[in-house]
Amino acid sequence: MKTIIVCLMLGITLSFQAQNFKYGKVSEEELKETINPNDTSANATVLYKKHDVRFEYRESDGFVQIVEVHERIKIYNNEGFNWATKKIRLYNRSASNSEDLQELKGYTYNLVDGDVEKEKLKKDGIFEEIANKYWKYKSFTMPNVKAGSVIEYVYEIMSPYTQIDDIYFQYSIPIKTYELRVSTPEYLVYNNLLNPRAAYVPNLVNSKANKSITFTSKQSNGTGAGASTFSSSKSNYLDNVISCNATNVPALKDEPLVDNLDNYASKLIMELSMTTFPNTPYKTYSTSWEQITKNIYDDPDFGDQLSKTNYFDEDVDALISGVTNPIEKAALIFDFVKSKVKWNEFYGFTSESGVKKAYNDGSGNSADINLMLISMLRYAGINANPVLISTKNNGIPLFPTRQGFNYVICIIQGDGFSALLDATESYSTFNTLPLRTLNWQGRLILDNGRSTWIELQPNVVSSDVTYLNAKINPDFSIEGKIRNQKTDYVAKQFRNRFADANPEEYIKYVERNNGELVVSELEIENARNVSQPINLTYNYSTTNEIEEVGDNLYFTPMLFLASEENPFKAEKRSYPIDLSYPFNDKYVINIMLPEGYEVESIPQSKKIQFNEGQGEFTYLVNENGRFLQLTINFEMKTSLVLSNDYEIFKNFYTSIIETQAEKIMLKKI
Amino acid sequence: MLKNILLTLSFILLSLSSMSQEEALFQSILIPSELIEKSNSVVRYDVTNIEVKAYNKYIYTKTRLITILNKKGNDDYGAAFQYDSNTNIKKLEVKVFDAFGKELKKIKKNDFQDVSAVSGSTLYSDTRFKYLDYTPITYPYSILLETEIEYNSTAFFPSWMPLDGFYSSTQFSEYKISNESDVDIKIKTSNFENYAIEKHSDFHYSAKNLKSLKPESYSPSFRSFAPYLKVALKEFEMEGVKGVNTNWQDFGKWMHDRLLVGTEELPEAVKSEIKSLVQGVTSDREKAKVVYNYMQNKTRYISVQIGIGGWKPMLAEDVDRLGYADCKGLSNYTKALLKEVGVEANYAVIYGARNITNIDSEFSATEGNHAVLCIPSEKEEDYIWLECTSQTNPFGYIANWTDDRDALVITPDGGKIVHTTSYSAEESLQHTTASILFSKEGAIDANVTIKTSGYQYALHEGIQTLPSNDQELNLKEYWDYINDLNITSMVFENDKDNVVFTEKVALSAKNYAAKSGKRFLFEPNIFNKVTGTPTRYKKRTLDFEIDRGFTDQDEFIITIDGSLEIEAQPKDITVKNKFGSYSFSIEKVSETELLYKRTYSLNKGYYPKEEYKAFRDFIANVVKLDKSKIVLISKS
Repeated sequence: MKTIIVCLMLGITLSFQAQNFKYGKVSEEELKETINPNDTSANATVLYKKHDVRFEYRESDGFVQIVEVHERIKIYNNEGFNWATKKIRLYNRSASNSEDLQELKGYTYNLVDGDVEKEKLKKDGIFEEIANKYWKYKSFTMPNVKAGSVIEYVYEIMSPYTQIDDIYFQYSIPIKTYELRVSTPEYLVYNNLLNPRAAYVPNLVNSKANKSITFTSKQSNGTGAGASTFSSSKSNYLDNVISCNATNVPALKDEPLVDNLDNYASKLIMELSMTTFPNTPYKTYSTSWEQITKNIYDDPDFGDQLSKTNYFDEDVDALISGVTNPIEKAALIFDFVKSKVKWNEFYGFTSESGVKKAYNDGSGNSADINLMLISMLRYAGINANPVLISTKNNGIPLFPTRQGFNYVICIIQGDGFSALLDATESYSTFNTLPLRTLNWQGRLILDNGRSTWIELQPNVVSSDVTYLNAKINPDFSIEGKIRNQKTDYVAKQFRNRFADANPEEYIKYVERNNGELVVSELEIENARNVSQPINLTYNYSTTNEIEEVGDNLYFTPMLFLASEENPFKAEKRSYPIDLSYPFNDKYVINIMLPEGYEVESIPQSKKIQFNEGQGEFTYLVNENGRFLQLTINFEMKTSLVLSNDYEIFKNFYTSIIETQAEKIMLKKI
Repeated sequence: MLKNILLTLSFILLSLSSMSQEEALFQSILIPSELIEKSNSVVRYDVTNIEVKAYNKYIYTKTRLITILNKKGNDDYGAAFQYDSNTNIKKLEVKVFDAFGKELKKIKKNDFQDVSAVSGSTLYSDTRFKYLDYTPITYPYSILLETEIEYNSTAFFPSWMPLDGFYSSTQFSEYKISNESDVDIKIKTSNFENYAIEKHSDFHYSAKNLKSLKPESYSPSFRSFAPYLKVALKEFEMEGVKGVNTNWQDFGKWMHDRLLVGTEELPEAVKSEIKSLVQGVTSDREKAKVVYNYMQNKTRYISVQIGIGGWKPMLAEDVDRLGYADCKGLSNYTKALLKEVGVEANYAVIYGARNITNIDSEFSATEGNHAVLCIPSEKEEDYIWLECTSQTNPFGYIANWTDDRDALVITPDGGKIVHTTSYSAEESLQHTTASILFSKEGAIDANVTIKTSGYQYALHEGIQTLPSNDQELNLKEYWDYINDLNITSMVFENDKDNVVFTEKVALSAKNYAAKSGKRFLFEPNIFNKVTGTPTRYKKRTLDFEIDRGFTDQDEFIITIDGSLEIEAQPKDITVKNKFGSYSFSIEKVSETELLYKRTYSLNKGYYPKEEYKAFRDFIANVVKLDKSKIVLISKS
């Protein structure tokens, strides 16, 4: 008896929902709602979303993909108005290679004096924009939208492609009811994966459905005009169906210092792995990483680009003549490529215009440049191979898909050494890559086409060491000298910003927000010599570091170098913090006190740790007559702080800021 | 015969000398050093020729050679062209040269990037862009641009700026208009006197060796001091509509008659609805308030720009049906509603921006980037200005976007220039009060109230619409000098009638006061510190401007834990000068209570560069005084 009731209730719920979300019919309750009780901060909520992907057979075109979307959105307030405008991107290369949006219709519903008023989306609210040679946009904006409105629209996208766009379960606003159905013919085999890094996991159900194709053929009877007959034949096949009925999907919320929010969105990723059409041999696309890298390797815009040497051989011969040390050779070739071919800011793991053309034009995409680098290194007898990667803005390659990669770099390996190289930026060096590339793992492809994973997260600690000498004058101004050395990523960041700029820019950068600080005689050593650390020296003077209150003097020993603001302000955090690379900030400070004063109080030495030494801050104070010496060291051995550790990390950082703010007090003798 | 030979000879000589000059131009290494100083790019040779064929047609030709010295100069090509169906780009070609004048690349019209001009808040526009997308392979390099464009819409006429912008110098630039039509052409030149510019005729100018300028903080906009020439035809055509423009009066009349008349018709139902809403309301101001509120609740801002729609507002009845429009459509719709209830209002063209930019009262032309509405009254300073693209602005409030500037008001009799509302330093008040408990551990626990009005209202009210997480972060940023700040509650009140915004915040911070042994260094100005000092310049080259004045008043009652006593405290101070005034005082109210009072105000003003140091010293002093400390020591 009990089970029957449950079943009945289930039936009721289902039919109730089906009724509720019929296009063109909204309920008064939906219109009366003023906030989302599950997320009161939401400016709008998707009340209902239907996403239906299916393939239909057309005799002229074969299988075409149809994506049918139905969305009903509640707008609570003015801040939610942008949900009433939608922009849909469609591929638009040529007549036969374009996606099409059709059957777009919509309504806005408002409650006026207790009655539901409907306003139809008309042609004057729909726009088509040819954005550039690849894409067009269909955009529309709903009429008569006010705080409290419900909007609803349906449309279909028809695509000649078998590639299915990622299906998102999450928006930046909550979704109340989500119905997903993806039906793919058995001839098209997909790999399916839910983003494992998303906090929200929908429940997917797999099933099969019967389908059939009717073929019509015309046969001529052979005896004159009009004498042909039509016959039709029917072929049965199965659809693989993925469906999902989700309710109350939470909003995806952004936070600062997230590598890429999209990495944490709940989504279904589908990649065509194989086609198995009847009477046709199987064709595999992406069954495994091994298979994908093999396919990429066989792509003429990849593999072939590695084997061409005739365009550069003379130049490279001249470049490395007389050099025997392989690392020296590699360094020469790396610098040669960096100066000869500039990055046009296009990503890609396949060559855009061909390595030879890129070489002659002096510009190319990431593949043109790095594949050229690899073939030159190989030509010089160095073991160099490509590493396919996904840049930070492309997300993490989650499972075997060709789209998982969007960039290629180079690895060289030899006796006792191994280094990653990317020649797209002038200031990148062996193992110091552009930050966009530091995204978890890359796939190393050997020259027989086999492949393996390698780590991309840097493990070398980039250091920033500062020696500060300070003399306090009788008028309480301070003057002194600073020496600073920067290595690896810290050096690279400095070079990207200041190496090609006027030295004045750096002086301004140091002086900014430091009141009366005046920097002079700046010398920058190795600004462009990437094989050496950056060495900076300058003199400074300042009048606003010492504060005289009563007869006593107060100052912070780090002077203008102290960080005063904690960037981690939120109480909680949902995603990891990406610090890009491990680092070590060290300060060695020597201060000469003015005549007639002595130390009354001085901060205590201390050591603070984060997660068993993953982060460490030490503060050592030494007093020696008129001289004070401090050694302050802040080291992060890891560049990724997990959200579970956020609170501890925030407290760790707070203590660092507070310690740096502690004052030395001098009193008159 | 002899004559002929001479001619040929001189021709050869001429072309030789011009050749060598040309060759020199292509070699970046030969640029005079004073033009390289402070420059990211050098305009080597820029010649603009405009042939006016008729009131509705001109042909624009340009030859421009620019040398890019470093990567920051890569935006200075000047090889981007906007076009639509009235524009025919007949020729567009670029050649790239290296430092020695060797040709590196040739880019033809079809190799230019061609994109739609839809961006940001615009949903649709039929305007497109062609632009050069080139990856530099070496610095310096030079770009030679040659173009010829036919314009069949003449409402916008190319101006001449011999200096492109900051960090760009000019070796030679020339601008020439030849008038082959019977239309009169108006020209206005600005700031020519301080630069080496030669006038060859009323319509022909050239400039030589103009050094580049560097931006400096608080400097007024580039156009206000750089040489600038603007042009307008006295008869023109805009998207097929013929116009006249001898002065603002007749230009405004044209706008009224050709762009506004006939767009104001409203559906009957709306007419009666709005009339019933103002029933019993007597004053025009109150009626207008009702209408403005009605419009705000009914509409939203969506920008769609098609054809003459770039200047002509959408029909009021369409705005009513769709519930959205751009600034023109919303202003015009509100105007129609006001007319229905008997309140006269005028459409106005203006520059909408945080920076104050005027419509030029002396030179009529198609100017401005925004439309608002104004309700006239007897005196121009009493006009009520309505920003119709906002669903939240208080009635008549325009600070920070269209305040304190000249606008073109369109009346049925023609156009006139009127200055919009400006918010004085006295009415732009921020009043912060707080009661604070200071514990023996150095922590603070406080209740703060910030009330803002005038121009400062606009700086604060935005917080009310943010998600609560962001509201909290926003307050933490506002007080970013307080480490480990914990917000325990926040309440916001928006009094739109009186334009006062109130923030009530309860908060705490564990280690507010810096420690020094057994002493605390307590800064009594907890909630309103000036922390940034203006940039220092060894030699200031530009005048400076404070575009909006304001006044801050602060009163904090600080209760100090009984176990602590004051060892030292700063002296009260008052500073006053032409830039503004500053003062603070600390008064002992009881054994454990201090009252900290502070006022700070800055005046609006335009000052010569020589006074910058004094201004900077004033602000630096405020920064220093805001950090003044009370030393507290344990009694035991």
